[in-house]
Amino acid sequence: MKLCDIVSRDAIVAGLQSSTRDEVVAELVDALVRAGKVASNIREEIIASVLERERKGSTGFGKGVAIPHVKQKGVKGMVAAVGVSESGIDFNALDKQPVYSVFLLISPAEDPEQHLRAMEVIFKNLSQDNFRRFLRQATQVDDVWTLLTDADDQQLPA
Amino acid sequence: MTEPGSTAVLLIVFGALMAASVFFSRALNRLGVPVVLLFLALGILGGSEGLGGIEFNNYELAFRLGTIALVLILFDGGLNTAHSSLRRSILPAGILATVGVLGTAALLAVIARLLGLDWKYAILLGAIVSSTDAAAVFAVLRGGNIRVKERVRSTLEVESCVNDPMAVILTVAAVQFASTQTPIGLQLLVEIPVQLIIGAIVGLAVGYGTRWLLNVMTISTGGLFPVATLASAFLAYGLATLAYGSGFLSVFVAAAVLGNGPLPYKAGLTRVHDAIAWFSQVSMFLMLGLLVYPSQLIPVSGTGLLLGLALAFLARPIVVTLCLLPFRWPWREVSFTSWVGIRGAVPIVLATFPVMAGIPGSEQLFHLVFFVVVISALITGVSLVPLTKRMKLAEPNAPISPVALEMNSLRRMHGEVRVYHIDPSLAVCGVRLSQIRFPEESAAILIVRGDHLLAARGNTTLEAGDHVYVFCRPEDRPFIELLFGQTISQ
Repeated sequence: MKLCDIVSRDAIVAGLQSSTRDEVVAELVDALVRAGKVASNIREEIIASVLERERKGSTGFGKGVAIPHVKQKGVKGMVAAVGVSESGIDFNALDKQPVYSVFLLISPAEDPEQHLRAMEVIFKNLSQDNFRRFLRQATQVDDVWTLLTDADDQQLPA
Repeated sequence: MTEPGSTAVLLIVFGALMAASVFFSRALNRLGVPVVLLFLALGILGGSEGLGGIEFNNYELAFRLGTIALVLILFDGGLNTAHSSLRRSILPAGILATVGVLGTAALLAVIARLLGLDWKYAILLGAIVSSTDAAAVFAVLRGGNIRVKERVRSTLEVESCVNDPMAVILTVAAVQFASTQTPIGLQLLVEIPVQLIIGAIVGLAVGYGTRWLLNVMTISTGGLFPVATLASAFLAYGLATLAYGSGFLSVFVAAAVLGNGPLPYKAGLTRVHDAIAWFSQVSMFLMLGLLVYPSQLIPVSGTGLLLGLALAFLARPIVVTLCLLPFRWPWREVSFTSWVGIRGAVPIVLATFPVMAGIPGSEQLFHLVFFVVVISALITGVSLVPLTKRMKLAEPNAPISPVALEMNSLRRMHGEVRVYHIDPSLAVCGVRLSQIRFPEESAAILIVRGDHLLAARGNTTLEAGDHVYVFCRPEDRPFIELLFGQTISQ
């Protein structure tokens, strides 16, 4: 599984406007709605589910990155949005540091294994120092997309 | 009666009182009444005017045993206070524990004066009941019925652990004022920070010293580890007090250092100190109950009731609101923090100070303090759960696992067993264990499903409601918690 298969190019927000966790989640869900990847009538439901998952433990696993995620009924295919924040967001992360890069992953409820695979791929990439550094420095959608494609090219076949 | 008969009778009476305390605590907890009140009531029942007929009016002994019990309770509180809670709440809690205590003492003294008490008794009373009680606050907030919003809960808990020093300092000054007419002067404003700083420094030194020793020494028997940590609790109090610092703060700081660092035999230590804290709480409240004479409570009940209500509805809310202004908390959180100002053992122990100093009328004051404490604990305890729900400050509480699976190692080992509650929102819910690519050195080891224990096999599918025990290396925790959510305490 590759990052570019999961992330929607049209749902990359290189300069997040929001400053709180809840607002960032809403901003990224809106990006997916605008990209036509998520139906607008389930927007609220998705935001509530993502925040509900955050309450079970932050998905900010340290080093300035977070992967909020949800398995949702009514979603057709797996999709992710990427957001980069210049000022940092309080995600109540494991290391208590602000989060600068956010991958929001939404998957159909019927396929938990695919959801898990996608989480692993995103985690593996975000665990790389260089990937994190370049992502945080990205100011344009193209910067992020190039980074994702480069990372996919370097990925060893599973 | 001659020995060993008299000791046997004493042990039977205490044994029966303690057994009754444990037996009835669950029922009381359900009603929301702090269990400490039950222990107090049983103590009164066992006293010279109750069924037990135990004659006990040794205030010096009560003070000494009460102090030891408080040291043990605070040590347990520190051991269980996570660094993250401390960091998040230390500023508001610190202000409440210093300026807040001073303000509450002053305001309550004025109210007591207005109710007809002499200034010297009014000031004593204000100082004595100015701090909230760690044991009572922990008991109601961690009672298991409800989980209060994290920021509010940790502020209240940390406040209750660090505000006793201030009450002690104020009470000592008030006793001096009452006995020698030494005015309470500006020197107090210097003494307070100095005592707190010395207490904190001694606590840090004892905490880090004990941690280092436990990690480098080879202790062959697990049972000796709690002896070492108990020694650290006593040393922290004693050394700080002799160095003119705050002993209670020192104990809390030393325990927090120990609890937040790598320690051998940690799970065992936590359990032992939890039990010691409960034992201390039961014994201390029973003993303080024994000191009380119901016949002396009746004359002070009117004033006591008014002061208890004034403390809950006036003094604490005003002071807490002012102290929390700079933090811009929502009014619901400020109101809730104002409300949970539960008083407990500390005021009753502090009320023995003036009696020991031989201040006339101080036994009456002791009973007045007792009344205020009971009113405070009763109204806060009973109203806590409905209030938390009404103010929407309750957070979902992951169900506690019916099984405790812990690793107790005599040496520091690289790895730990963590437990996770499987919620439908988690990535691992509905997948087989073999589908989860655990890091090389980590693995699921046990699943608790209802009343069944399941061996963690590859073909086991994780279901909502399961408790999963995962052995993991500290460096693998970010990945594990991304998939399994937040670890829960056992």
